[in-house]
Amino acid sequence: MLAQKLHLLRHNVLSFVSSRTGSDLTRRQYDVIVVGGGHAGTEAAAAAARLGAETLLITQKIMTIGALSCNPSLGGVGKGQLVREVDALDGLCGRAGDSAGVHFSILNRSKGPAVWGPRAQLDRERYRQFIQSELLSTPRLTVLEGSVDELLVSQPNPEEPGHHRVTGIRLVDGSHPILSSSVVLTTGTFLSGSLFMGQTTSPGGRMGDAQSCAGLSYTLKETLGLRVGRLRTGTPPRIVKESVDLSLAQLQAPDKQPTPFSFLNTHTRCKPEEQLPCYLTHTTPGVERVVRESVHLNCHIQQDTKGPRYCPSIESRVLRFPGRRHQVWLEPEGLTSDLLYPQGLSMTMPPDLQLRLLREIPALHRAEIRAPGYGVQYDFVCPTQLTPSLQVKSTQGLFLAGQINGTTGYEEAAAQGLWAGVNAGRTALSLPPIALSRTQSYIGVLIDDLVGRGVTEPYRMFTSRAEFRTYLRPDNADLRLTPRGFEEVGCVTLRRYKKAVSVRDGLQEALMALQSVALSSTRWREKLGNISLSENKSTTLNGLDLLQYKDVSFEMLASAFPECLSQYFEYSQRLKIEAVYRPHCEKQSREMERIRSEESLSLPSDMDYLSLPVSLSHEVREILDRVRPNTCDVRPCPDTHTCVLNRLFGYAKIKSVTHVFDNS
Amino acid sequence: MAFPQGLPSGPSLRTFPHGLPSGPSLRPDLTQLYWGLCIPTRAVCDAETIFALSSGHGRCGVAVVRVSGPASSMVLRNMAGLTQALPPPRTALLRRITDPQSKELLDRGLVLWFKGPHSFTGEDSAEFHIHGGPAVITAVLQALGSLEGVRPAEAGEFTRRAFHAGKLGLTEVEGLGDLIHAETEAQRRQALRQMDGELGRLYQDWSYRLKRCLAHVEAFIDFSEDELIEDGVLNQVDSSVRQLETEIERHLKDERRGERLRTGVQVVIAGATNAGKSSLLNTLCQRPAAIVSPIAGTTRDIVETSLDIGGFPVLLSDTAGLRDSSDSVEREGVRRARQRVEQADLTLVVVDSTQLPPDPQLVPAFLQEHLSTVLPSPEAGMKAASDRVLLVLNKSDLVPEEQRERTEGELRERPGLPPACFLSCSTSTGLEDFLTVLQSRVKTLCGDPLSGAPSLTQARHRAHLQQSVQALNQYHQYRDQDLALAAEGVRLALTHLGRITGRVGAEEILDIIFRDFCIGK
Repeated sequence: MLAQKLHLLRHNVLSFVSSRTGSDLTRRQYDVIVVGGGHAGTEAAAAAARLGAETLLITQKIMTIGALSCNPSLGGVGKGQLVREVDALDGLCGRAGDSAGVHFSILNRSKGPAVWGPRAQLDRERYRQFIQSELLSTPRLTVLEGSVDELLVSQPNPEEPGHHRVTGIRLVDGSHPILSSSVVLTTGTFLSGSLFMGQTTSPGGRMGDAQSCAGLSYTLKETLGLRVGRLRTGTPPRIVKESVDLSLAQLQAPDKQPTPFSFLNTHTRCKPEEQLPCYLTHTTPGVERVVRESVHLNCHIQQDTKGPRYCPSIESRVLRFPGRRHQVWLEPEGLTSDLLYPQGLSMTMPPDLQLRLLREIPALHRAEIRAPGYGVQYDFVCPTQLTPSLQVKSTQGLFLAGQINGTTGYEEAAAQGLWAGVNAGRTALSLPPIALSRTQSYIGVLIDDLVGRGVTEPYRMFTSRAEFRTYLRPDNADLRLTPRGFEEVGCVTLRRYKKAVSVRDGLQEALMALQSVALSSTRWREKLGNISLSENKSTTLNGLDLLQYKDVSFEMLASAFPECLSQYFEYSQRLKIEAVYRPHCEKQSREMERIRSEESLSLPSDMDYLSLPVSLSHEVREILDRVRPNTCDVRPCPDTHTCVLNRLFGYAKIKSVTHVFDNS
Repeated sequence: MAFPQGLPSGPSLRTFPHGLPSGPSLRPDLTQLYWGLCIPTRAVCDAETIFALSSGHGRCGVAVVRVSGPASSMVLRNMAGLTQALPPPRTALLRRITDPQSKELLDRGLVLWFKGPHSFTGEDSAEFHIHGGPAVITAVLQALGSLEGVRPAEAGEFTRRAFHAGKLGLTEVEGLGDLIHAETEAQRRQALRQMDGELGRLYQDWSYRLKRCLAHVEAFIDFSEDELIEDGVLNQVDSSVRQLETEIERHLKDERRGERLRTGVQVVIAGATNAGKSSLLNTLCQRPAAIVSPIAGTTRDIVETSLDIGGFPVLLSDTAGLRDSSDSVEREGVRRARQRVEQADLTLVVVDSTQLPPDPQLVPAFLQEHLSTVLPSPEAGMKAASDRVLLVLNKSDLVPEEQRERTEGELRERPGLPPACFLSCSTSTGLEDFLTVLQSRVKTLCGDPLSGAPSLTQARHRAHLQQSVQALNQYHQYRDQDLALAAEGVRLALTHLGRITGRVGAEEILDIIFRDFCIGK
């Protein structure tokens, strides 16, 4: 049955390609065009279509839509939160992960629910299939195979801020332009990308794919005048599983009961007992020797382009922290794949040396390489040139998402893609742009960090980036985002909305029921047996108070008061988490409110700084005119003083009051 | 641009008003923060209540202390003894202002009640118009700080609240920008001034150590699962946090400036017999409080008197002249004198100028030697010499003018030697200069409320340090249970410390993580 479905799917995709290539296009105009079919592009296209925009996704190869180009895994600490949030806004990657996962585990299980990191090893094939079938069945979404040569822009709409306006794209084959007022670029590492292996360099963004985007690079840099920077990343060699002596590595079992990423799923496609293990092994002094001997043959490592500090190549790890054992994870690539992915061994030395290096590790002493590792260097657009809706400030209708904004990671890309797609769709539908608060989601933190601070190295999410980590938990992403995603944003389907509302109401009832049972601490001790309560005898405690105690579970309370609590068993874990965290979140509410009210004081991007009736020096006016900060936060403006902030703050406040007034 | 015929009526030529980016954002209103639950929780959404001295600083006839926030009415009731109704809004009422805890009378003054939104900040507000003496101001501020839910205002916070309430018009913005700027600058300068030297280094050091603690906890949270972060990392953090708590707590106890302002600065007159110590006391309090006679050893016990010096309360003690004596009563007097010197905030070491070496060049060494016999221990003596001692060279009328001037020249800006003033208690020559020096010393000891808002700043510092310690408790409380909440404690502690030493951002923490650990998945 399943196989048949897949067959059908492939057939559809292929027929789809033939009917939509080149001049055969029936439409030459779309509400939204998304360029790129990676994690950002697929989420963007799906989100725009969910909003109701007629959307076109253009990708070099339809078969690589949804491909996991690097590690076969999703989620983790900080990243898992992003996946849950993308899912809460009805994005794809959470459900795709549940469909493709072959090894589920919650990282940081012992460190508190706010920092739990849902993570899964993925089957590459299943992931791709899921994404492709989702896109195919998304109404209003068309997929086209092709390479974009040029971004078409024209004079700006004088009533809006910006120097240019997007009008569409032109494909490499020189056919008619395809018109759209909203374009989302998610070109990943393909913007002036070059590949490195040993001493050879070749143009491209991913091994095995066509190079591209020369024309696009030109438009962005020369026509639009965007500032770009250069970053690098890398991927490890893929190893033939049979050639690995797994008995010499340490087995890492998955969670016994897989936890799905998606709020819609109660279980994963992979059954608990079907899950595959991972293996842990370590580098040896021999590895370090090979690295040192090969440095002169390794031009990627000799360049000073910024690479990620937290996902470094084995070369830079060994050179920065010599004389140490470094971890290497051997991860499955899928249920039927004959390959292993050596996490931690990203490298760019010549292939023969890669093999020598691998074989210095006992478990890999006779390893065979299927595909060697390589490095990529690529351009990114400095993201301070974007608004919080991920639109380029100077170009009406142009949105950027993913690695083009200087981030790394599937989850970061998916999160931006979704939000860029939402705003591209809204723009096309004449709705105002929309921003996410950093007090409300990791996606908000991610985008605020990008557009507010910019990047100097590939940006990855960490839980420590979120000020309100105790509130932005993986368990409550649905409550934080789904209702608003439906009511205000329009990117959430009714089905998901109804589910989130029923969960919200259920939890609310359960919390009230917990508060309704109140006893003295003496009576609680009698009821629950041997628990240590710090309160003295006369204090009255309700169920919610009691649930804050480490040793008290919802199940214990429910067995003490079955008549009013047992109906809420399905929420027991969420209730426990809520009880423990709620007092801490309340303490933070003032700080949250402050940040939110400052976020809301956005500065109009068409503000005329040069004639603003506020006391500012000419120099500061010029800086502000150039940088055009999104908010009164002047961090992105060099050399401006905080007093500028205060003046703008007052101005923005007054402006926004007037604005509301005008509307009414 | 030509469109082919038959295109679907797509939204091609619409204009898309991007509008001001103040479009809707996913901001819940606070009541809905917790899913719009109608569970009665504490008033989480209410802003805290703040207070500050709003009038000009320094001694003045009337000082205005402003309170803003939801607890303002409670504050007014508690401090002004209003058990029944609040006064009509914006009407002055003369009340006894008392400490809400001790019921001690602090002052009599005018109180005003402003019901929100008809107030500067748009919130419920109250004002206390009190007498402008530093002691009164400090007492009132301390009393306010002792009320629950009430805290000292941050720099510019009243204005900021007024902004948020939309109480300010466009013309006011410009001036207010300057005002906030000035306020912040003054406070920053003041903080810097106070933190100059040892204290500043101490706070910076705490802040740095706390940053490292946080970075290590964060590294353990964000990376330990797939990295080689040593398990011992958290144990190190445990002991660092404990050490920091101890140090901050000790510091909080040592800090006595506020108390000094309330109880008076302990100024002790000490020196050899017959140098004129009791005469100095009588001169300063302008009455014969102590018996003076030419006989060495006239004063045997401590003679105390309260003085107002430049608006600051001073408790002046005259002590027995320091000498070895066979008289057991005098010996006890000397013991008490030495003890008093040890506890003194400021010691006035009185020297008989006629005993000084006639060669002015020898005077500094002589005085140095003399100080070591008067002041308690050598280490303390060295430290005290710089800021806790004044040398009074009495009987200046008996020294030839020319010798006095040359000696003065020799003593001017001698490192290691406290300031010295020639003075004649019998003719009052040099008294004015001496009083100026004395007053500036006392002022420093009281925290100098004449410039900036030091009592307030200090209240802020103290509050932040206390909150820091409290937050560190949270670390221990959750260390084994929930590391996210434990880290929250360290983060909170750092935020509070950061209010004194400067803000700490997430990037800074990440920098430490990457410097200290080999991270790579």
